[in-house]
Amino acid sequence: MSSVPIPVVEAPGVDHARWATTRIVLGSPSGMVGLALFVFFCVLAVAGERLAPYDPMAIHYLPSGKVAQVEAPSRAFWLGTTHYGRDVLSQVIVGSRVAFIVGIVSAFFIAFIGTNVGLVAGYYGRRVDDVLMRLTDIVFGIPFLPFAVVLVALLRPSIWNIILTISCLLWRTTARVIRSQVLSLRERPFVRAARVAGASDLRIMYVHLLPNVMPMSLLYVAFGVAWAVLAEASLSFLGFGDPRMVSWGQMLYAAYISGSIRHAWWSVVPPGLCITLFTASVFLIGREYERVVNPRLDRG
Amino acid sequence: MRFWPFLGRRLIQTVVTLFAVVTLMWALFRLIPGDPTTVFLGAGELPPDAVAALRKSWGLDAPLWQQYLDYLRNLLTGNLGLSFYYRRPVLEILLPMLWNTLVLMAFAVTAATLVGIAVGSWLGWRRGDKTEQIGTLLVLIPRALPIFWIGILLQMAFAYGLGWFPIGGMRTPAFIPETRLELLPGYDLAVHMVLPLLAAVIYFVTDPLMIMRTSMLEVAGDDFVTFARATGLPERRVRHLARRNAILPVLTYTAIMVSFAFGGQVLLEVVFSWPGMGRLMVSSVTQRDYPVAQAAFFFMAVVVIVLNLVLDMLYAVLDPRITYE
Repeated sequence: MSSVPIPVVEAPGVDHARWATTRIVLGSPSGMVGLALFVFFCVLAVAGERLAPYDPMAIHYLPSGKVAQVEAPSRAFWLGTTHYGRDVLSQVIVGSRVAFIVGIVSAFFIAFIGTNVGLVAGYYGRRVDDVLMRLTDIVFGIPFLPFAVVLVALLRPSIWNIILTISCLLWRTTARVIRSQVLSLRERPFVRAARVAGASDLRIMYVHLLPNVMPMSLLYVAFGVAWAVLAEASLSFLGFGDPRMVSWGQMLYAAYISGSIRHAWWSVVPPGLCITLFTASVFLIGREYERVVNPRLDRG
Repeated sequence: MRFWPFLGRRLIQTVVTLFAVVTLMWALFRLIPGDPTTVFLGAGELPPDAVAALRKSWGLDAPLWQQYLDYLRNLLTGNLGLSFYYRRPVLEILLPMLWNTLVLMAFAVTAATLVGIAVGSWLGWRRGDKTEQIGTLLVLIPRALPIFWIGILLQMAFAYGLGWFPIGGMRTPAFIPETRLELLPGYDLAVHMVLPLLAAVIYFVTDPLMIMRTSMLEVAGDDFVTFARATGLPERRVRHLARRNAILPVLTYTAIMVSFAFGGQVLLEVVFSWPGMGRLMVSSVTQRDYPVAQAAFFFMAVVVIVLNLVLDMLYAVLDPRITYE
């Protein structure tokens, strides 16, 4: 066999792009707003009890000795009290922790499972691809929230079961997207070069391909956080939240069940707004980041 | 690939998916601690030999594989069992609820798609100007809104506050029309549907809208648009032409929307006490009425899977250029 010159092709690096990414996300107003909100909720989640004016589960009493039931916002209770006489502000602050844990942990699993499924399916192709993608199709056939309700209720509501349920199903979109990326990447010269040079399948997948799909998986981490937070809120609102922790969804559930929503806007607006702002912050960051990952989206 | 082999393959896939979901569901409901008799009777309320007799009559003493086969056979023959709570056949309870759910969902999906097409094509056509930039940012807000919260806010404002619409439910019990307007058939239903529908549209509209916008941007650069403009057609007519050509991806998306609509649907039904399948499922899970919960979940999965198939086919018919892959 005549000697074929092995092309020296470097896998397109992502390192040098890191600063550019940060600059783009920070450079746009909406990216800034997203990041600021995210940091804000970060602080709330970490500081939690230390920031909250009261114990979120403490029941407060009026000077007359009656429970401070659905009291309007006042000097003592900035956001009023709940039906059970608890401080809304403290609950909202401490509730950010559940959103954070569920959001981050589930997003990690969503991206982890999705990226691996997509990588393996896209790289091996044929049978493996067929099996994995049919599996993905099946998972797409399962309506998420109904499934989550059944699973969480059967496994007993807890924050870890909620995370498990979310991770079990929501990797599906990531898997499809990563697979299609891998399909086009694997025909690129640097992958062929690696193969000719004798790199093993594992090495090609995790050393050469993975860094190239990483930006896309990171994007799905951002989306994953948003989906997971909304999913947790929805489950909690339906009454399947972790009974040992305060979450925004559970606050809304309590407000709805107790009928506070009839007149007490302060029992409804703060937790809902927090869910919205937290989700929006991740979406905004993700949207700006998407412009880096997929420059074609850039609106001039 | 030709159409018929494609259809055949998709049909097989659909059956496999259905089968997988059904099996998963069966396995899931085996996770319940204890067995159905303890839920049905309450633990320790009957002498052990009576429980044993019940277990035998329900086939629970059979080996697992036998139970699984029985379960499949029952499903195929439409026997979904008896509700623990209502003590009536599940199917009898479920069918009217399925209908209620589909009514609300059909209106919601249609309305969201139409609004999405209208606003999306408008935004896509104004590429690059300030309106478009602000518009696309505004449109992303509903993505972050929890649908049940939108529902509650609408309820607070328009039902509790202003009293314009009923708080929930689907019909006023013993409704007696008094004005001319109220005499219209379906008036009562329509009034009850306004708020949940509004919440659903706010929630669902983003995706069709964004897809329509992108698709519009793509079509806007096509030769036929340039040509149409060159012939001197008014801009409105050119946009109309472009819109008709850009609509296809939105229609495909409808299938995906339906599958994710069920999540929103469940929440909306709970908020607005809409007597549908989602609400039934949540309450039956809470009441441990597992046969009903199981059947409700099964129905939702079937609707999702079958609709996906139908829309795939529809897409193939609508766009003859498609390669069946």
